[in-house]
Amino acid sequence: MKSLQRAWHRHSPQLFLGELLEKRWMEPIIPFTLTIAVFLAFAIMIPRYLTAGSLQELMRNFAEQGMVAVAMAFSVLSGGIDLSVGAVFAMSNFLALYLYLILGLPLPVTIVLVVLFGAAMGAINGGLIAYGKTRPFLTTLVVLIIVRAAYNKVTVAFTNELASIDSGSSTWDFMGSGRVLGIPFNMLVLILLAVGTHFFLTRIKPGVHIMAVGSSRKAARHAGVNVKRVLFSAYVMSGAIAALAGILYAARQSSSGTDTGVGWEINALAAVVLGGISLAGGRGTIARAVMGAAIIFMLTSGMVRLGISGNLTTAIIGIILLLAVGFNVKWVKNKGKVLQKVYVTPSWVDFEPPPSVERGSGTPFAENDRLKNAEAIALNMIEGPEDIILDRKDNLYTVNRNGSIIRFLAPDYTVREEFARIGGRPLGLAFDRDQNLLVCIAGMGVYGVKPDRSVFKVTDRTTRTRTRLKDDSRLYLADDLDVAPDGKIYFSEASTRYELTDWALDGFEGRGNGRLICHDPKTGTTRTVLKNLTFPNGICISHDGQSVLWASTWLCQINRFWIAGPKAGTSEILIDNLPGYCDNINRASDGKYWLAFVGLRTPVYDIAMRNPVFRTRMVKQIPPDEWLCPGINYGCVVKFDDNGAVTESLWDPGGLSHPTITSVREHKGYLYIGGLENNRIGRIRLQDADPTWEAHKSYWGGA
Amino acid sequence: MTKAVHRRAFAGIGLAAMVATAALVAAPSQAAGPRDQLREKFDKSLKGKTVAWSPVWMGVLESEWTRVMKDRFDDYGIKLVTRDANMKSDIQLQTVSDYINDKPDVIVVQNPNVTLLAKELKRAMDAGIYVVQVNMASNTLTDAYVGVDAKDLGTKIAREVINQCGGGKGSGEVAILEGEATAAYSLDMKNGAMEVFKTDPSIKVVSSQPTSWDANKAGDITTTVLQQHPKLCGILSVWGPQTAGAAQAIKAANMGDKVKVFVASDGQPADCDLLEQGAFSANLSYRADVQGQTIADAVIALLQSGDKPGAKNIAYYTTPAWVKSKDDRMYCFSIPKGAK
Repeated sequence: MKSLQRAWHRHSPQLFLGELLEKRWMEPIIPFTLTIAVFLAFAIMIPRYLTAGSLQELMRNFAEQGMVAVAMAFSVLSGGIDLSVGAVFAMSNFLALYLYLILGLPLPVTIVLVVLFGAAMGAINGGLIAYGKTRPFLTTLVVLIIVRAAYNKVTVAFTNELASIDSGSSTWDFMGSGRVLGIPFNMLVLILLAVGTHFFLTRIKPGVHIMAVGSSRKAARHAGVNVKRVLFSAYVMSGAIAALAGILYAARQSSSGTDTGVGWEINALAAVVLGGISLAGGRGTIARAVMGAAIIFMLTSGMVRLGISGNLTTAIIGIILLLAVGFNVKWVKNKGKVLQKVYVTPSWVDFEPPPSVERGSGTPFAENDRLKNAEAIALNMIEGPEDIILDRKDNLYTVNRNGSIIRFLAPDYTVREEFARIGGRPLGLAFDRDQNLLVCIAGMGVYGVKPDRSVFKVTDRTTRTRTRLKDDSRLYLADDLDVAPDGKIYFSEASTRYELTDWALDGFEGRGNGRLICHDPKTGTTRTVLKNLTFPNGICISHDGQSVLWASTWLCQINRFWIAGPKAGTSEILIDNLPGYCDNINRASDGKYWLAFVGLRTPVYDIAMRNPVFRTRMVKQIPPDEWLCPGINYGCVVKFDDNGAVTESLWDPGGLSHPTITSVREHKGYLYIGGLENNRIGRIRLQDADPTWEAHKSYWGGA
Repeated sequence: MTKAVHRRAFAGIGLAAMVATAALVAAPSQAAGPRDQLREKFDKSLKGKTVAWSPVWMGVLESEWTRVMKDRFDDYGIKLVTRDANMKSDIQLQTVSDYINDKPDVIVVQNPNVTLLAKELKRAMDAGIYVVQVNMASNTLTDAYVGVDAKDLGTKIAREVINQCGGGKGSGEVAILEGEATAAYSLDMKNGAMEVFKTDPSIKVVSSQPTSWDANKAGDITTTVLQQHPKLCGILSVWGPQTAGAAQAIKAANMGDKVKVFVASDGQPADCDLLEQGAFSANLSYRADVQGQTIADAVIALLQSGDKPGAKNIAYYTTPAWVKSKDDRMYCFSIPKGAK
């Protein structure tokens, strides 16, 4: 029974659900499902719905409505609204007929002129809204009324000419009723337009700027975006697209009636909202607008084909839209909350009682005062030295919270200089053979700094797990690294589910979310060596260079992964059931290893780890500042050997100067101490250590 | 018995059955008189056929057409498919395109304007479908047209306007309320009227605007026209229901005694009611129910003709009649009780 429960918690469907909800494509899931559902429903209800002819008719009749929805989407994404699209569409329809069929202008000239007309109407809208600071709703409403009135005037003035329109050239007919590979021409234009505008809004600078301005005008301005010009361009695009739709409609319908384009702005707006594009701007895609338009179109045309009377059709569509929009708005709004509730999925972890850490208990872990009088280096000159390292000239390097690598110059370490600025949150450090400083950066990957201080990227992605919904190819939380004798860089990624700031949540899960990754600089390839590791943290190549030692923080284990020798490729647990949560591992001068305890286990937290339901409830029901967290207000460092025996420990009782120790580094008889949240680096003299030993020699030899 | 024998035995039975059936089928026609043969031929050309009907919307007029057609077609075993475009031309184009894909035997269509369906109707006939256009034609001539001669209607109604407003009897100022400007019915009627008006210098057309068949819009237009032309003598409106709005506007402006309303309409009961109430001065009326019968006649004539679709263009013009008083009530139809 227990094993069944364990298996349930290990492979909880909640994991899948959480990662599913996290997907960006889950946001338009409602319109997408509805599009498919409506299509299938009519395919079942209407005979011959799925024949090629019927599908072609559907596409042909849909295209212009889709385009007008795209036009509307542009204005809505920019944070406004363009109610004039329907009128501009109708006027463009008339102009195309007039210029081409009545005046007899060449077709390309007609197309250019009409699109220019649409752009000009957009320019009026955009000019007033962006530069005149008028409200989009009223401005475009006025333009709608003016253009519509003008349309009514001109169509009356040219009634007889419009009535005697004959079909134009074969090109014109092709625009109206031609097909390319079975796809109606106007649908093809819509597809190209949708793909093009999607690309524009997501990849091209002026388009991305539209999204930026829509998301937050203030932030965009602060980021140096010319907000006015961007707004202006959004309306110009909107007008031009509506005009393009008008031309295609003209080629298809050859008529300019009083109903042309009437209410299309409302349909387009409904499509945009139904597609889940936020009316506040900045959120949504072109595809969603097209999906929304497709739903409305299919409902209308489908109900007409079912022979339902016109008024009833309108009413039914109204009700369906109301429901769908209401549901969709709720969904878009609350998806984040749902995700928060289901994302954290604790697993079942069993702990044995750990060895005693009590003072005088006689275990190697027994509390002492050996770190109590550590000398403080760089006091208040550093924020969060998660790792420290020293070079061959004894200079001290460490990482800073703000994303830079800080160097303190030997011998007295009072001169502070910013060695390199990379960004992200730098964590583990290592030197390679050429004295390049390699650094793991949370949120970015693995980077390097050459001795001349130039920064280079080592890797920021690895092989993706094919069976997993979440794209884990990008490095989320590279934590610590070391370099093997053959130059390969082994590094840990602590979690693929949480950011660094949410390390506690990963702790509540206690799940194998992390991995051990290897980057080979010779081939430039990065691959995942071990996956499903529980918060792999410290990484250290063993003294013989044959294995990688890695620490699992939440399982309180030291593991060995063989990279050379007879056992190459296999892994084993070297030390289990440590009394503290393991962090970085580094070589010691006596052939052993230093291990930092970032925190110490407590009986109550051990019990909590055995109870996933308890932790789930805790995360869901109480505020974060009342969560039961691992105890990290301790300061403890231990030493272990290649056989997995812990030989000694060094304590700062109560963690007064050195709580949350994440790294210890031995250099020339001294031990340097770094902590994730500390404001200093500690240093103590090691009495019986080799005063000439330095890590670089240990790794790469030489004098 | 072996399988082979089985099969031969069955083949034999099959052959016998076929011969017998053929004899049975042939027998009555040989035996029966020419009148029975006629009915037989009639049934053969009509039974199981499909008529696809695309009205602009389902107003009183279109409902009456549909009711009459359905009665007749049900009787003959013809299936009638109806789709209401609800005044949306894009939907109507879509409907007709769908019809062509579905390959009915006849498409009956009321064109929202002269150009919209022109290409599709030609395509329909090319696809082997008979096309009957009703009351509102397109630029494409098809197998049959059933409906008014709109131009003739315009001429007649204009003469009546001149009678009452021209030659010093009134100010001579006339406003025209069109329907949909490019709908054949409205366009041709207006052009017919204008031709007549041009011949009489005492008549001045002060306004000619489309109402989209909408009473509210007609009311708004009329209100404006009355303000701009307080001496207005007559309003010529192409269709009854929209004119109700105009009449309302005239009443609201207290000009009921000065402005005369001339209307052409399909004889729906409300038209005669309004005339009897004095809201309309004269109504050139044709009856929708009669037209419905004619549509059905045109359809069954085509189905029995054996002609290739598009071979001929037959017109069935409806004869209008003036409704000027209560006594002319017979030129309006009445919607039978129980009709929806």
